[in-house]
Amino acid sequence: MVTRLKEVDVVVVGLGWTGGILGKELAEAGLKVVALERGAMRTSDNDYSLPNIRDELRYVVRHDLMQNTARDTLTIRNNPSQEALPMRRLGSFLPGEVVGGSGVHWSGHTWRWTDMEFKVRSQYEERYGKNFIPADMTIQDWGITYAELEPYYDKFERVAAVSGKAGNLRGQIQPGGNPFEAPRANEYPLPPLTTILASEMFAAAAKSSGYHPFPRPAANASRAYTNPDGAKFGACQYCGYCQRFGCEANAKGSPHITVIPLAMSNPNFELRTYSWVTKVIKDSDGKRVSGVSYTNLLNGEELEQPAGMVLLCAYAINNVHLMLLSGIGQPYDPVAQTGVIGKNYCYQTGTGATLFFQGRRFNPFMSAGGSNVTMDDYNINWEFDRGPHGFIGGYNVAAGFNTALPIGYRPVPSGTPQWGKAWKKATAEWYQTAMNIGASGAVMANRYNCYDLDPTYRNALGQPLMRMTFDYKANEHKMGQHAAKVVNDIARSMNPTHLNPAVARTQPWTVVPYQSTHNTGGTIMGTSPRESAVNKYLQSWDCHNLFVVGANVFPHNASYNPTGPVGALAYWTADAIKNRYVKNPAPLVPA
Amino acid sequence: MTGLTLALALAIASTAAQAADPVRGETLYEECIACHSLRPGVHGIGPSLHDVFNRKAGELADYRYSPALKRSGIIWTVDTLDAFIADSQQFLPANRMPYAGMPEARDRADLIAYLQQVAK
Repeated sequence: MVTRLKEVDVVVVGLGWTGGILGKELAEAGLKVVALERGAMRTSDNDYSLPNIRDELRYVVRHDLMQNTARDTLTIRNNPSQEALPMRRLGSFLPGEVVGGSGVHWSGHTWRWTDMEFKVRSQYEERYGKNFIPADMTIQDWGITYAELEPYYDKFERVAAVSGKAGNLRGQIQPGGNPFEAPRANEYPLPPLTTILASEMFAAAAKSSGYHPFPRPAANASRAYTNPDGAKFGACQYCGYCQRFGCEANAKGSPHITVIPLAMSNPNFELRTYSWVTKVIKDSDGKRVSGVSYTNLLNGEELEQPAGMVLLCAYAINNVHLMLLSGIGQPYDPVAQTGVIGKNYCYQTGTGATLFFQGRRFNPFMSAGGSNVTMDDYNINWEFDRGPHGFIGGYNVAAGFNTALPIGYRPVPSGTPQWGKAWKKATAEWYQTAMNIGASGAVMANRYNCYDLDPTYRNALGQPLMRMTFDYKANEHKMGQHAAKVVNDIARSMNPTHLNPAVARTQPWTVVPYQSTHNTGGTIMGTSPRESAVNKYLQSWDCHNLFVVGANVFPHNASYNPTGPVGALAYWTADAIKNRYVKNPAPLVPA
Repeated sequence: MTGLTLALALAIASTAAQAADPVRGETLYEECIACHSLRPGVHGIGPSLHDVFNRKAGELADYRYSPALKRSGIIWTVDTLDAFIADSQQFLPANRMPYAGMPEARDRADLIAYLQQVAK
């Protein structure tokens, strides 16, 4: 029997960055908000404090803060001719599953994606002609501009305590920052993090090769800070336990120490944990949704929460899954190329080199999540002519440590045996002497990379698993070759004792090992319902009181980490709902 | 340390405390506030600093202290706090405070002067 609860104004599905931002903003606007989170309540005081938090086995190897694959996972294949199989253990990407979501265990890298992404098709067509874009590359303009998002990027950077150095203030190029970034109205709220030896050596080498290295912007407070909402941050202690962990010093910009406690202190807001939303309920007219169905994981009770508005704020993959399970919008068919839900799933690509310097001591145990130096010379700028290389998008190159821990971080020169006495000797000998240079590259949409519901496998509640079909295409392979050469040229210029060179990947993508929790697309944004699932305000074209918030709205993936635009779009959507939608509940963009 | 130098050191410390600027100390407290509240019984990552002076270290029943702090026998005074804030791991190895320390003696004196005003 399903228990039907009293209607509320807003139900938020998933309480991480986007749910926290929207929940707080809409509760403050006077709306009654209920947030349903599948994971548990966790706090810095009880769960992320010393010494218990520094447990690599629990948090990195056993994924304590992540989605439980014994309950719900995805099936995976590289192309539609294969049979997809369930991912029984997390690997390549790690969706968070606690109050705070992936915003608890992220590293804090916060980028501003620019019009080079938002106008990707029109700009490449203008520059290189229509034929430059392969026929199966389903990239499209996003329907939003950098200028529209700029104030919201600024807002998110202030809330999340982002440390960095502006490279372009209102059109003036600033020394020390990223000269290729789009114009910013304001400096970062906090100065850059302290650099570490690996990033300094990389910066010097990149500079002498004519590149433009800069400190990576990261939501790791470089000093004590109070954000505009009054949330207090301690200074980053460079403890080395950043990604996969909650912050022991309240220094990492995370929803569970910012927007979520503020929302929870508002009587208009209620959080229910262990609440797994299984379906968004369509209204009888099909033009609206009327609420959600969910299961209380503590006792198995099934409940229905009616609501005037539904905001899907779960992890990007799970938002798309819910849309497919709820039958909202037309599912995408990669063969017929009809429908939109599930379209344009994208990931990221990359390559890296390990450099060994006999006699140097890098102290890899000491770093912030964002103590990297990065360069964008082959990324967000047109000075890099893609014409001769024949690929679209770009990649950033970076060096520095982030969470190099005793179990997982064991750099040894290539050719070292992988186990036994010789391996033990080598890992002790080289641990202190190694550093990495890595490239992180964009992935353009392809008609065959997509999501749908698996025909065979089901989750713990009996629902079809999400099926992911993904592989790298020629664009990524060409980019990888270019990136590997650039990385190796810089690495060789540093004259290491040994070099494990960067190699462009050519093998099909697999779910192991860990690669990047930057999954995008599936309910993409755009200018018309024929080619997108949501409009520029992340409002469903099909049901106007349903908003789908997260990286699932990105029509393609960039080289950058996605949280900057995810946070900015959440504030942008909050404003659209507060200022326009509440007064006139209707489509915010005519279809 | 001889009795005379100890007396001298204490005299210097108390002079510093007298000259300290609690208003400036309030600003310096920003470094602590993300984890330490001043309200009784309200603990964050660190314990409340309400009524901290002359309290035995590790004695609040509702905060989970490190064994190192619990068995330290420290009484929190101007001097012990000064040494703890300067470099807590050197002063008390294996304590759990994730804080690199406040190196300037004047900063610490100002901060402690502020705490003396408000932590009661």
